[in-house]
Amino acid sequence: MGAPLQLQGVTRKFKDTVALNNLDLDVAAGELVALLGPSGCGKTTALRIIAGLDRANAGQVWVNGKQIDKLPAHKRNMGMVFQSYSLFPNLNAEENVAFGLKMRGTSKSQRRDRAHELLTLVGLPDHAKRFTHQLSGGQQQRVALARALAFEPDVLLLDEPLSALDAKVRANLRDEIRSLQLKTGTTTIFVTHDQEEAMSMADRVAVMNHGNIAQIDAPDVLYHSPADEFVAGFVGQMNRIPAEVKKDKVKVLDSLVSVKSIHDYQRTDLVALIRPEALEVSLSPKGNSRVVARSFLGPMSKVLLQTLGGVEFQAVMTSEQSTALHSGDIVQVKVKAGEYLVVAA
Amino acid sequence: MRRLRLASLPMYIAVGISAIYVLLPLLSAGEFSLRQPATHDYGFKHYIWFLELPDFAHYLLLSLGLALGAAAILLILLVPTAIWLNLGGQKLRGLVEFLTLLPLVIPVVALAIGAQTSLPEFAQTNEFILSFMYAILAMPYAYRTLDTGLKAVPLKTITEAARGLGASWIRTIIQVVTPIVRGTVLSALFMTLALSLGEFTLTSLLHWDTFTTWVTTMSQGNILGAIALSVFSLVSVFVLLMLIGLFVKPASNQLSTEEN
Repeated sequence: MGAPLQLQGVTRKFKDTVALNNLDLDVAAGELVALLGPSGCGKTTALRIIAGLDRANAGQVWVNGKQIDKLPAHKRNMGMVFQSYSLFPNLNAEENVAFGLKMRGTSKSQRRDRAHELLTLVGLPDHAKRFTHQLSGGQQQRVALARALAFEPDVLLLDEPLSALDAKVRANLRDEIRSLQLKTGTTTIFVTHDQEEAMSMADRVAVMNHGNIAQIDAPDVLYHSPADEFVAGFVGQMNRIPAEVKKDKVKVLDSLVSVKSIHDYQRTDLVALIRPEALEVSLSPKGNSRVVARSFLGPMSKVLLQTLGGVEFQAVMTSEQSTALHSGDIVQVKVKAGEYLVVAA
Repeated sequence: MRRLRLASLPMYIAVGISAIYVLLPLLSAGEFSLRQPATHDYGFKHYIWFLELPDFAHYLLLSLGLALGAAAILLILLVPTAIWLNLGGQKLRGLVEFLTLLPLVIPVVALAIGAQTSLPEFAQTNEFILSFMYAILAMPYAYRTLDTGLKAVPLKTITEAARGLGASWIRTIIQVVTPIVRGTVLSALFMTLALSLGEFTLTSLLHWDTFTTWVTTMSQGNILGAIALSVFSLVSVFVLLMLIGLFVKPASNQLSTEEN
């Protein structure tokens, strides 16, 4: 079972840039938290500080109630999987997996048994004697995962472990990592810039920006109630449609909707942030928009539309509904009831 | 099968031509050194001649010792430097590259005069000064061999992985980095040994005698004997390098296949 992890006020500066700015993070035992954000947001720096591969300028790291930020990397009991394959080329898969146990003084026979157990767990029981060059990228990352889990780490740290793999292997391994994590109950921090990966695997996703967490929530909460424009834009598709203030509501595409937060009621150049699936489209010769194009995505279809004022946006509907729509059709678009973010254009 | 053979034909031709280019002069020298003009047959007379010379063993061992000394100096100096540079000392990379290139730019004569005028007397009177000089001469080749080899390994990630798995810095260097870079270190060692064993100009300019200068002196009196000596030194250096290669094969074996 994994251990709880806390980061308190962690700050890391590199010369003029602030990579982490007073970061707080609280991860429960056995939880999988994804750190999601654009490159340079500080997510990898946070991971390296937890691992002890980098030192914070200020702040504390706690694991299982113990402060560990002064400990060197090798005394922290963290399993780490890197983006680039980091297996030792002079050792075979079994020896790689057993390395962490060897460093902890476990006996040879126990090491071998545990390595086999882990290799079986990651689906490579027959690859124990293979060297790095005899394994595919996906297999190497599986061995790396087995190696990181073999000594039952307090926390498992995954630094974009899937980015170097091709799409199909990535999707498979994503599911495998998650099921393995649930099976072992290891507290896991997963760094990624791929929102789909983060949303599909994590218990909670921390969206990072400028060295701090913009929002940390369960994937569905993050998607439906983004805290700000950055989170809204980073997670899922988001339309920016012109909005007009009407008392305490705003008018968007002829619909009056509630406002969750508004940038400034006095401004006239405002846009509402609306998900493609929050729009209802129906054919109407006196409508407010025009169909530009339609793309088929299997059960669902994406329809590219344009307001009569020329602003482009997207709507998502079932493919069955979309068959009635053709390029050039005039349609009436309504916004479903709900609370929306309204920001400056 | 037939197609495969056809495809590798150009390779065989290239290897064949290279082999002829390298081996033909060697074989000819070998054949020539075995001739015995007085009796018009072949024999080891000239080999026995130099083996019986009183200074033969002395100069051979001296050259070997100096070459090993040079290799030790270079490896102690360059292996940690190259590992450190590849682990993150990027700022000084330019300076190190420049310094290690200097021996190629500075003429050997200038090096020799520099050594004679600036080194203290105890250094000038000890022949092991030659080890240091050979180390300087071999530095450009040894450093580049090491650096290229280290660059081929994702050293930073591998050391971080090792530390994350519970290995201290010392264990990381000894148990992880050293086995991985062993092949590269050996290549640098070969380069230094081969260059040191064949060095003539600097040794001669500094008025020292080693195996190479001794061979030159001896050859003036007995041309067939000198050729026999040259063949012997070529073959013995080759055998020496092969032996070192065989000695460390088990560990470097996996790496060489890994690199392919």
